[in-house]
Amino acid sequence: MTGRPALAFSLACVLASRSVGAADAVPVPVPVPVHGGTLTVGISYDVDTLNVYVTAALGDIEAAVVEGLVAPDEHAHYVPVLATAVPTLANGGIELTHQGKAMRVTYHLRPGVLWQDGVPLTSADVKFTWEAVKDPHFLAESKDGSEEVESIDTPDAATVVVNYRSVSPAFASTLFTFGILPQHLLAGKDLNHDPYNDKPLGTGPFMVTEFRRGQYVVLDRNPHYWGHDAAGAALPYLDRIIFYVIPNSNTLGTLIRAGEILFAPRIPVMLAKQLRGTAGTDLVTGPSLGWSYLDFGMKQVPALRDPTVRRAIAEGINRAALVRAAGNYPQAIHSTVLPVFENLYDPEPDAAVPDYDPAAANAALDAAGYPRGPDGVRARDGRALELGITTQSGDIDGEIAEQILIAQLKAIGIAAYADNKSGIAYRQARYKGAFDLQYGRITTAADPVYSMFYGTHGPLNGRGYTSAAMDAALARMETSLLPDERRAAGAEMQRLFAKDLPSLPLLSYVSIAAKTQRLQGYVTNPTNMTDFVSVAHWWLMPREQSP
Amino acid sequence: MSQVWLLRRLLGVLPLLLAISVLLFTVVHLAPGGPTDVYADNPSVTPQALAQIRIAYGLDQPLPVQYLRWASAMARGVWGYSIRTGRPVTTEIAERLPASLLLGGTALALSALVALPIGILSAALRRSTVDRVLTLLSFAGISVPVFWLALMLQLLLSIHWALLPAAGFETIGATGLLDHLRHLAMPAAVLSLATIATWSRFLRGSLVDALQQDYVRTAYAKGHSTAGVIIHHALRNALIPVVTIISLDLASLISGAIITETVFAWPGIGRLFVESMDARDYPVLMGLMMLGSLALVLANLCADLVYTLIDPRIRYE
Repeated sequence: MTGRPALAFSLACVLASRSVGAADAVPVPVPVPVHGGTLTVGISYDVDTLNVYVTAALGDIEAAVVEGLVAPDEHAHYVPVLATAVPTLANGGIELTHQGKAMRVTYHLRPGVLWQDGVPLTSADVKFTWEAVKDPHFLAESKDGSEEVESIDTPDAATVVVNYRSVSPAFASTLFTFGILPQHLLAGKDLNHDPYNDKPLGTGPFMVTEFRRGQYVVLDRNPHYWGHDAAGAALPYLDRIIFYVIPNSNTLGTLIRAGEILFAPRIPVMLAKQLRGTAGTDLVTGPSLGWSYLDFGMKQVPALRDPTVRRAIAEGINRAALVRAAGNYPQAIHSTVLPVFENLYDPEPDAAVPDYDPAAANAALDAAGYPRGPDGVRARDGRALELGITTQSGDIDGEIAEQILIAQLKAIGIAAYADNKSGIAYRQARYKGAFDLQYGRITTAADPVYSMFYGTHGPLNGRGYTSAAMDAALARMETSLLPDERRAAGAEMQRLFAKDLPSLPLLSYVSIAAKTQRLQGYVTNPTNMTDFVSVAHWWLMPREQSP
Repeated sequence: MSQVWLLRRLLGVLPLLLAISVLLFTVVHLAPGGPTDVYADNPSVTPQALAQIRIAYGLDQPLPVQYLRWASAMARGVWGYSIRTGRPVTTEIAERLPASLLLGGTALALSALVALPIGILSAALRRSTVDRVLTLLSFAGISVPVFWLALMLQLLLSIHWALLPAAGFETIGATGLLDHLRHLAMPAAVLSLATIATWSRFLRGSLVDALQQDYVRTAYAKGHSTAGVIIHHALRNALIPVVTIISLDLASLISGAIITETVFAWPGIGRLFVESMDARDYPVLMGLMMLGSLALVLANLCADLVYTLIDPRIRYE
């Protein structure tokens, strides 16, 4: 191993020198990827199962093992993986049917793809995946997209024709993007209890060789992997990846400093601040399709049903303080659609929620009939404006933001207090609306479905927001494949959102990863498909060549 | 101690466990949320599918029916499947139990080895400088937060001196005892510190009391040495309260040490409990809590038996 990287590095230096020619600048060596090495990864959550459709956690490990037909890249644009192209109207991969009310999507499978046991991937596997996921007996967390499909045709082993019941522009974010299941291994099996859930079989660059619950998961290179780099070398570059479960962020920091963990995705801001300046470790920030928000519990608090009160609270929140507390990593946002979604984001002022203006907030609350009492807390009809803020217990970043929000609300006469919950209790409070105010974060797919959050019957609309106009705008946006139509509906949705203010978008988050400087080829992925979508291209620079 | 007494005590365990199981089952189900809430914010899990999931886990039945089903299955040795992972509850627990037993057992052994001599020394030299220093250290041991001590040890022993691994149960591929001992050293030391401090204070207190009894004065008058008086006369009588507290700590072997396991990424029962609680994984939670309850009941029984060995005057009829 040692001879090969050294040769590659020398060659790279020569090539790099040539590229700068006779210029005076010191030539910067361009490292050439080398094969080999073990990457140790620290993840903060316990791995429940390795079935991508069942796990309640993010699928970091699964993304290295199981592949979908398409996947989002580092710019949140879909690129083909097991398919040869991303179906669009333009390339004929999508056809509208039933007078434009439904659609047919055709995928052509990449030739020569083998499962990790050497069996060829075929269109039957894709059809089996849909059938398995939609089976009501299969107790899966992620059944997204399975109900929208009416039928699947497999005219040959390399062609999949998916017939949708309706027009579903977000089809690429669901189902076949998560991963394909092997029919030859799972047909007729009980997927709820099958050993596959501990040792999945995929087509991805790595395969699971050992899974010790509560400790680690070992992935080894898949010798059958189809991928090659630009120079024609077989992917992946790494020999092995070991995911260690490190539930405590301080311990994770210690292990990174000790050099025992070489890569940790999505570390908390507080840990990033501690790791600044750690020798040999880079903190890599990347865009995230996530934002933090303050939700108004209109079901539980009558005062919050008054848009004036919601607007006053919005004007009482200073995002700059939240940004500072988060180490200046995130950015303030004023719209529910993040600016990164260029196809939907509307930069016009009337599509933006109010900015910090405490004087206006105080005046609005006075005018709305909430005068301050002797203790400085506002009240109406003898009821003090006391609001609990619910966030996830143990989420360090969330709890710090919560304390800032409590202080800022106090300044406008609202007595806020922490009312945190953990696990299922937090999740239940969120979707059932059992909160006064709720601070949380959402990371979406590359093509977010906003009706989930703001539609009258949206599963994440726990706050109890109802608007026929909003429902209509969302329906137009989410059932059209035409970019102009979607943009117009999206702009209307943002204007309605800014007027009604069912939720207050606060910060656009960045994804922060801590990685050894030896790790090369790494790119962040802003979507909920995790950075490991591109792990086949990651490689470790030999120690003797590291910066 | 008569065999009838022992049999009666063992038979008494059953109704006690039954009562505990009713209480635990009720309390667990009173906590907000349930295992199917994990699906509730997923638009593609239809109400029909959700109902199917509830039926699959018997969650559609009234709570008393759920309890009876669970209790009868448990009595037959069928602990059910984890809702979170889909694996048998017995497998989930069996995988984590050895790590907890190893950590807890080592910590208890370490505590006994260190706390008993400290307690004896402190009592024998009461009001001396040695006693005051040991008292100060004991109070420090009780007061220092476990997570803080753990982080300090990690910083010193793993980063600064690079002597021990910062976390984990084993090195992948390593097979020797030394590797396990290196991983065990810090968590066992952290876990035992508070126990050492508590036990040594208990022993000191009861030994000081014993040393003021008439029979001790008589022993001294008969010409016994201080060591002889303490070991042969006072210590046995002073051990009764210490055995009681040790028996309670013994039960924690099964229930795990949540903070220590979390900070040191130790794959024990304590972490499994937290993860299952967060997911409202009722079958695993009930399995763990019943195991913990059984351990507590048996540890108390063991303590009662040890009393008769320490003090022959104690008889159970």
